[in-house]
Amino acid sequence: MGRMLRELPATARALTRAAKRGCTSPAGLAFALVAALAFALASCSDEEPAKRVDLTKRVEITAPGAPEGVTYAYLPQYSHAISYKRHRGLVDYLTRATGIPVRQVFPATFDEHVNMVARGEIDISFSNPFIYTRLAKLGSRVFARIVEPTGEPYFRGQIICRRDNRAIRTLADCRGKHWIAVDPFSAGGFLFALGLFHDNGIARSDFAEVAFAPGPGGSQEKVVMAVYAGTYDVGSVREGTLDLLKGRIELDRIRVLARTRAYPGWLYSARRGLDQDKVQKIAKAMFKLSMKDPEAAAILSTAGMRAIIPARDEEYAPILDLVRRLGLEDGRP
Amino acid sequence: MTSTLRFRTKLNLGIITIVAATALVLALVISQVAARALEDESKRTGSVLVENLSMRAAEPLLGGDLLRLKDLVDELPQVEENILYAFVTDDSGRVLVHTFQGGFPVQLTTANTTPEGRGVAIQLLDTGQELVYDFAAPVLVAGDRLGSVRLGLTRQKVLSVVNRLLWAVYATAGTAFVAALLASTYFAGRVTRRLNALRCHAEEIVRGNLDHQAAPPVYRNCWEVLDCGSEQCPAYGTRGACCWHLAGALNPACKTGDCPGAGKTCDVCPVYLENRGDEIQELAETFDVMSRALKTHIEELRAAEARVKRQERLMRTVLDASPDQMSMVDDKLVYLAVNRTFSQALGRRPDEVAGLTSKDLFPPDDAARRDRDNLDVMRSGKPASREIPFFDGERDRWFHEVRLPVADADGRVIGLLRSARDITDMKEVQEQLIHSQKMESVGKLAGGVAHEINTPLGIILGYTQLLQEDAPEGGQLASDLAIIEKQAKVCRKIVADLLGFSRQTESAKLHMCFNNSVLEVVSLVQHAFSLDKVAIVTDMDDRMPIIYGDPEKLKQVWLNLLGNALDAMPEGGVIMVRTHLDTPRMQVTLEVVDSGQGIRREDLQKIFDPFYSTKPVGQGTGLGLSVSFGIIEDHDGSIRAASPAPEDLLRKARERAGILEDAVSGPGSILTVELPLDHTTEENEQA
Repeated sequence: MGRMLRELPATARALTRAAKRGCTSPAGLAFALVAALAFALASCSDEEPAKRVDLTKRVEITAPGAPEGVTYAYLPQYSHAISYKRHRGLVDYLTRATGIPVRQVFPATFDEHVNMVARGEIDISFSNPFIYTRLAKLGSRVFARIVEPTGEPYFRGQIICRRDNRAIRTLADCRGKHWIAVDPFSAGGFLFALGLFHDNGIARSDFAEVAFAPGPGGSQEKVVMAVYAGTYDVGSVREGTLDLLKGRIELDRIRVLARTRAYPGWLYSARRGLDQDKVQKIAKAMFKLSMKDPEAAAILSTAGMRAIIPARDEEYAPILDLVRRLGLEDGRP
Repeated sequence: MTSTLRFRTKLNLGIITIVAATALVLALVISQVAARALEDESKRTGSVLVENLSMRAAEPLLGGDLLRLKDLVDELPQVEENILYAFVTDDSGRVLVHTFQGGFPVQLTTANTTPEGRGVAIQLLDTGQELVYDFAAPVLVAGDRLGSVRLGLTRQKVLSVVNRLLWAVYATAGTAFVAALLASTYFAGRVTRRLNALRCHAEEIVRGNLDHQAAPPVYRNCWEVLDCGSEQCPAYGTRGACCWHLAGALNPACKTGDCPGAGKTCDVCPVYLENRGDEIQELAETFDVMSRALKTHIEELRAAEARVKRQERLMRTVLDASPDQMSMVDDKLVYLAVNRTFSQALGRRPDEVAGLTSKDLFPPDDAARRDRDNLDVMRSGKPASREIPFFDGERDRWFHEVRLPVADADGRVIGLLRSARDITDMKEVQEQLIHSQKMESVGKLAGGVAHEINTPLGIILGYTQLLQEDAPEGGQLASDLAIIEKQAKVCRKIVADLLGFSRQTESAKLHMCFNNSVLEVVSLVQHAFSLDKVAIVTDMDDRMPIIYGDPEKLKQVWLNLLGNALDAMPEGGVIMVRTHLDTPRMQVTLEVVDSGQGIRREDLQKIFDPFYSTKPVGQGTGLGLSVSFGIIEDHDGSIRAASPAPEDLLRKARERAGILEDAVSGPGSILTVELPLDHTTEENEQA
C-alpha cells in the first residue's frame, strides 16, 4: 500500500501533463484516472519474494540416541514443562558442581516413574515418601530430603469442605460422601488423609465415591476447585495448597475440616546400582545449596524448597507404618 | 467528438463511467484488501497454529515422546485443511517427526529460520507446484529452546477464496452497473425530454410564437389555493403563470413583493409550496416569463414603430409634396436625405441619393460650388439664400436657394438643410411685367410723340398736295413733291401704327364672325403668297365662333401675322392657319404655323417689342407685331410666340398643302392668339 501511495503522485503528475497537452478529453481523463487507480491498486499487490524449495529431495530421518550421564527425574505430579522449569536450574547446578553430566528425564506417570527407576533409566529420583516406599522395595535408597517452603522438613495433609456444607461438621460426617483426592500415589493429597480417616474408623469403602483429580499438573489445585464448585463434598490436599489459590477463589468459602499429622517431606533417592561416588558428589553438591547464596536461593526457590538436607531411610518409618496400616504394601492404592 | 453526442447519451455515459469506475475501483480495492486480509488471516492462522503446536510439542519433546509428537503433527491437517506439512526438530535442528510420506524433503530444514526468542518466522516458499507459507516457531520452556516446530500452509486455498470473493465483487459491480444503466437511462430520458420541450419552446419563440407555454400547468391556481377572490390582482385568473413571476401580485403571503422570481417569502407561501418544481421547471417558468415580457415589449415596439412609420410617411409626404428641392447633408457633405423633387431632378430615386456626395451627383463645377456654399453656411452657422440660374439642357431656369445650418442640442453645426425653389415662372412673369410696363411707357411715349407729330405731318402732307396741284406734271418739282408726299405718308403710317400700338386710336367693336375675319385676310393674301412659293392651308373650327371685336384692327393683326410668317420663309414653305373654340374657357384661339426658319430663343420675348426686327434695315419698321400685340391686348386677349412649331401641326400642314418634306427648310414657329368669346367680362370689369 505504501508503494501505491508513493506511485499515486507520479500518476497524477502524468495525468496533469496529459491534460495540459490538451490531448485528453474529459471522458478520456476519467478513463485514465480509473486506469491509474487500477494500476496503482494492482501495483500494491506486490508479491513477497518466495524461496525456491525442492520437495522432491527426500531423506529418511533417524531419531537421535539418548545422551550419556546421570538421569534425574521429578515425580510427575506436574506437567513436564513445569517439572523442567522447576528443576532445570538445579540439574544445571549439579552438572556444574559435580562435573557429572546430569540430565533431567520426564516420566509420564507415577507408575512409569517407578518403572523407569526399576529399569535403571532414572538414577536420581525426586519423589514423595509414598512412592519412595515402592522405590525402596526396588533397592533405591534415600540420601537427601528437602526442607519445605514452610521451613520444616515435614508436611501435612488437609481435609477440606465447603463452609456452607452443613452436612459435614466432623470427620465422621464424611461417611457416605463424595471424596476427591489428588492422586492414588499422592502422599499429602491422598495417603495422609486416608490414614486420618482410617484412624477415625472411616474406611475407604465408607465413602459414596473416592475420585482423583483428572490429568497431570496442578492436581492439588484441581481438588480445591472441585470442592469449591460443589462437585465433591470433601477433598484432600497437602498443606499449603490453599495459599496457592489465594486471590483466585474466595478462600473463606472453604473450611479445613481436619489436618493430618506431620510426615517427613519429599526426598531424593538413588537407584540400586548407581555409583555411590556419584551419589556422594551429587549429595554434597545438594547440601551445599543455601538460601543465603542468592544464586542457590534462586535454584532452591524455583525447585520449591528451602534447602536439601541429608536423610536416612529410618526417618521414613512413619510412612512405611502408615502404608502398612492401610494395607498398601504392595504399592497399589 | 463528444460535443456531437446527444445530451442523453452524455448523461448516460457520465453516469455509467462513474458507476463503472466506482465499481472497478471498489472491486479492485475490495479484492486487494480482502486478499491481503485473507492472506494476513492465513498468516495469523498459521502463526497461531505453529505457536500452538510449539506449546503442545514442549511436553512430548521433554518426555522424548515421539509418538505424541507424531500425533500432534499428524492431527494438524485434520484441523486446518490448508496445512501442507508440519514437522518438529530438536534443539540441534534434527527432524524428530514430520507429516511427509516417503522421506523428508531435506531442503525444508534450511528454508526458514526459527527466531531466537519467542515469535514466528514466516517465509514464502515456492515448491515448483505451488506457493507455501512456511511458519517456524521455537519450542520454549522456561526460556530454553528445546527445538522448533515448522508448518506449511498452502496459498492456493487463500487464492481460491480471493478469486471467489473477486467473482462475487465483480458480479455485484456488474449488477450495480446494469441497475445504474437502467436508472440513468430512465432519468436521462426524463431530463432530456424536458430539455427537448424547452428547446421546442425556444424554437417556437424564435419562430415568433410567444404564446407557447413551456412550464407545465400549475397544480392549483393561486386564487384557488388562497381562495382570495381579489380580482384586481394581476395573477387572478391568469392561467399558466405563477404568481411569483408576476410583478404586482397581491398574494398576502408575499410581503416583500420582490417579484418576479421566487423570493425568500415564497418558502412559506402555500401557493409556492404546492406549485414549485425543480430547476428545469423553474427554467421553463422563467422562459414563460421571458416570452411574456418579450411579447409585451415587441407589441410596444410594434406600436412605436407604426407611430414612427406614420410620422415618417407624413413627413415624407409633406416633403415629397413640396415642389421645392429639399436635401440634407451632414458635416461631411454627404447627403442624408432628399425629397422626391430633388431626386426627380437628378433622375434618381430618393433612397439612391442618400449616402452620396455632390461629386457623385453633379458636374464637377456645380458640385464644387455646392460644396463651397454648403461649407460657407456651416462655418458661419447663419442661413443664406440667393437666386441662381440653371440651364437644364433646354432652357435657363431660376432657382431660389435657401441654406439652413442644422445644429445639435449643443449648438454644434452637424449638417445643412438646403431648399431650392424653381422660380423660373415667377421670373418670367416678373420679366413680362417689366416688359409690359416698358411697353406701356413706350406706348405712352410713342402715342404722345405721334400725336404731336400727326398735326405737323398732316400740314406737311396737305401743303405738299397743294403744291402738287400747282406743280407742272412730269417736272422735277412734281417728282420731288411726289417723294415728299410718299415719305410723309410713310411717316403718317408710322404715326398711325404708333397710335394703334398705344391704343390711342378709336376702335369700332362689334359682334363678328371670327372665322370669316381670318378667311377674309387669308383669301386676300393667298395669291400673293403663292407667288413667293408659300402655301396657306386653313383648319377652321366649324362651330363658327362669334367674337366681339374691331374687324378692321383684327384683320390688321391677321395680316401682320401672315406677313411675319411669309418673311420667315424666303425660300417658300407652308403656313397653316387654325382656329379653335374652347367652350369651357370661353375663348377662341388662332394659331399661325409656319415652316420657316423659326425664332431664336432669345428673340422670343422681344419680338413684340416696338421697333424690334430681325429683318435687314429698311425692310421693316419693327412695329408689326407690336401693333398686333397692342390690338390683341385691347381685345383682352393674349398673343405669344413659340419655336419650333409642333411637329404634328407642321406635318399636317405639309400634307394638306401637298408639299414634300425636303422643301421645308426650318423648324418653323407658331404664333398663338387667344381672344375671349364674350366681351361681358370686360364690360363687367369696366362697370
